[in-house]
Amino acid sequence: MIETKELTKFYGRAPGIIGVDLEVKAGEIFGFIGPNGAGKSTTIRTLLGLIRPTSGQAFIFGKDITKDGPEIREEVGYLPSEVFYYDDMRAIDLLKYSGSFYNKDQAKILRRIQQLAEYLNLDLKKKIDDLSYGNKKKVGIIQGLLHEPKLIILDEPTGGLDPLMQQRFFDLLREENKRGVTILFSSHILSEVQKLCSRVAIIRAGKIVKVEDMKTLAKDTHKRVKLEFSDKIDKEPLLKLSGVSDLIFEDKIVNFLYKGDVNALSTLIAGFKLTNLLIEEPDLEEIFMHYYQKDQK
Amino acid sequence: MTNLYFREIKSYWKSMIIWTVTLCGLVVMFLLMYPAFTKDVEATHRIMANLPVAVRAALDISLQNFFTIYGFFSYLLTFAALAGAVQAMNLGVGVISKEESGKTADFLLTKPISRTKIFASKIASIFSVILFTNVVFDLVSYVTARLMSEGGFDNRIFGLILLTFFLIQLLFLALGLLLSLLIPKIKSSIAVTLPAVFLFFVIGMLGSIIGNENVRYICPFKFFESNYIIDRGALELKYLLIEMIVVIIATILSYLIFIRKDIRAAA
Repeated sequence: MIETKELTKFYGRAPGIIGVDLEVKAGEIFGFIGPNGAGKSTTIRTLLGLIRPTSGQAFIFGKDITKDGPEIREEVGYLPSEVFYYDDMRAIDLLKYSGSFYNKDQAKILRRIQQLAEYLNLDLKKKIDDLSYGNKKKVGIIQGLLHEPKLIILDEPTGGLDPLMQQRFFDLLREENKRGVTILFSSHILSEVQKLCSRVAIIRAGKIVKVEDMKTLAKDTHKRVKLEFSDKIDKEPLLKLSGVSDLIFEDKIVNFLYKGDVNALSTLIAGFKLTNLLIEEPDLEEIFMHYYQKDQK
Repeated sequence: MTNLYFREIKSYWKSMIIWTVTLCGLVVMFLLMYPAFTKDVEATHRIMANLPVAVRAALDISLQNFFTIYGFFSYLLTFAALAGAVQAMNLGVGVISKEESGKTADFLLTKPISRTKIFASKIASIFSVILFTNVVFDLVSYVTARLMSEGGFDNRIFGLILLTFFLIQLLFLALGLLLSLLIPKIKSSIAVTLPAVFLFFVIGMLGSIIGNENVRYICPFKFFESNYIIDRGALELKYLLIEMIVVIIATILSYLIFIRKDIRAAA
């Protein structure tokens, strides 16, 4: 569906992406994850023909992105992280205008617009300028889906959507996927990608670090644990617990990364006298560090 | 392709009407003064003749033709052309850059339309605006001038004088387009247009004062002298060629830059 070969982009001398090899298969939801500035947007924008690759090649539907851009985009829906539209237009006019670029049945597109607007709870008669950030995002979602594309490319799409809308949006994407639509989903939030994607590529400093099945990555998932003891720290059992790394004792507070059976951890914690307890997803940076360490070994 | 063209036209509609009405109003107002001006030619002539040569040159007043309808109209056209240049250049600068300053380039360029077609539709739209402005402006000017002039009226000469207005607009349209693709990140097109147009205008004015003929090569306002048109009933071929070359090169260059341009993420 999408294939890139040694795709490279330099902005002047500054590298955007270097030798990116990706293969997104038909029908999958492919996650593309990395910190800000890692090259996610550069990759996506190159695929869409917004920027020209310095070297390397990329194909979508087997067609060359530098030669067959318009033909490819006929079947691609795109939603950027921040959406900007013509402020003087009403939402419905913008969406109709958007639809008019596609060589498809316009009546069908209009029905789809209305259907999606109802589902997302968007008032189509409002002017773009009068819409809130979240509502503009909804216009963006509809704009990306109204022509029933075969490939949907999302570049950090969830910003501005409240949790309920995010849920609906994800449901919508899953539904599309069930109908055979391929999805490329870029994000810097791991949990988001975990919820949706079947495979994931990790990008850092312009290079693909790893491509992995979500299941494998989930197994690898670390938890960041922070315990605040009411009294002296009971160091002994913590040092014995397997799967602990990055262990730091600090006055009455313990900080560590945990990877392994959560039951073993919860049983252990149950025996402590604590004033506070925090278990959270490690941030992406920590996961990357983890991958880097593995690579070095 | 037509959807983009009509969207563009719609977005220009209001300003197009305002510019056209203003330009026509200006010309009509001054043309209405023509009979009063020529009533006492002797007196006006004396006043004009008493002005220092430098001032006359700066104001572009040539005594030989000033009191003919052509000379009078040409004179007021120099100011209309200044406004017309602003209108045209503003269109040229804005037509592509507004998608970037409004951050709508992502929207437009991810649609299944080639950059060549985007460029063509956009050029066609601003050209249409200029064409509309000229057609109305020419009609209004012609009818008013006809009514105000007494005696003979040479359609060819008057037509050529009107044509210079179009040619000046066309040149500034093309210059603006090229400039907009050479300057990175234009926030407001009028901020680029006004200094550029006035710079050319002042260069032309200074050229007239010091009487340097070569200034004409770099000042579009001076490409087509009214005295030449009035005397010979033709445009100076040399400058017509320069104009055409500049317009064609600017358009081709703009196209080549545009189709290769990287659209960076809006932020």
